[in-house]
Amino acid sequence: MKQLENGPQWRVTLKEAWPLCLSYTPIGLACGILLHAAGFNTILTGLVSVFVFSGGAQFMIAQMLTTTAPILTIILMLFFLELRYALLGSSLAGYLKGQNHRFLFFFAISMNDENYAINYLKFVTDRNWTPKDALQVEHWSLLVWTVSNVIGSLIGSAVKIDLTVVNFALTALFLYMIVMQIKTRLILLISVIAGILAVFFMLLTKSTLGLVISTLIASFLGFMIESYVTKRWPNSHLLYKIHDPSGQPEVDKEDIEI
Amino acid sequence: MHYSVTDHLLIVILGFFVAFGPRYIPILFFSNRKIPEWFNDWMKYVPVSLFTAIVVKDIFISGTYHFISSGNFDLILASVIVIIISYWTRSMAISVVFGLVAVMLLSMVI
Repeated sequence: MKQLENGPQWRVTLKEAWPLCLSYTPIGLACGILLHAAGFNTILTGLVSVFVFSGGAQFMIAQMLTTTAPILTIILMLFFLELRYALLGSSLAGYLKGQNHRFLFFFAISMNDENYAINYLKFVTDRNWTPKDALQVEHWSLLVWTVSNVIGSLIGSAVKIDLTVVNFALTALFLYMIVMQIKTRLILLISVIAGILAVFFMLLTKSTLGLVISTLIASFLGFMIESYVTKRWPNSHLLYKIHDPSGQPEVDKEDIEI
Repeated sequence: MHYSVTDHLLIVILGFFVAFGPRYIPILFFSNRKIPEWFNDWMKYVPVSLFTAIVVKDIFISGTYHFISSGNFDLILASVIVIIISYWTRSMAISVVFGLVAVMLLSMVI
């Protein structure tokens, strides 16, 4: 049905993925340039983009190489950084039920924060969104990310890029995702708590481990408050819906089989 | 310390394993099992918590993990613009493009 309505599958998924691809282009270029400056050759830049496929990780590699950190330290910091993917995977697993191991392998290998954000939103709001669609979104982002990294590596130091400006493309993408997530006052509250906890734990751990700890605590608080409030005060103001100016009909969670 | 190409390759290979493990193991574990309802209810709050944490890191935490209390006004102002645009348009593309334009202009002014 979907094929008939919206054209071939690659166009359906590209329609969802292109804003991400757009953000990835300058960041990928910047990342490739930085990796080049840190001594990474173009082939390895391509390899790291495909096999690690994480903007944060690749920027960290570039930065730690310029400070000549020991390899084991780099790997340990990478592990802390990538640990958050365990949470992403756990929260998406319900939508990937019944997929074979091969599919899950390829899905996991190219999942990262940004394409997860898109796919999570699609799974929650669109009941026609399939794991195969999600995998294609991952592959679009992987393609654009790798190509722009390689081009960045080839350009090398010929171009100077303002990293703060470029990185804001991803910040904007996540801000958009947050706004789309905030449907009740409770979620808004959890978002604020998560932000405060993130500052606290990142200053405490001096690493991105703080991201993981604050996410774990904030999300658990959300779950605890929700179950407590729905039991005790079903009419609590916390559960009020936040106005959606688009007026799109909400897809009920119960409608989507998890 | 100077790195050789072999060192770089080693970083890519080991980096692959530490990146792949956390992505693969939970997906494999949870998608082949009956997930308890409370776990799903908990995981429901993971995206918004993690995204907020990432945004806060981008705007308020420095590369050496210090709190940036002064400065970054351009990023803060651009973030407010992105939030308003996202809220009204519900469009990722418009939000990202306007956000980038805003931060470019603001970083020149501020």
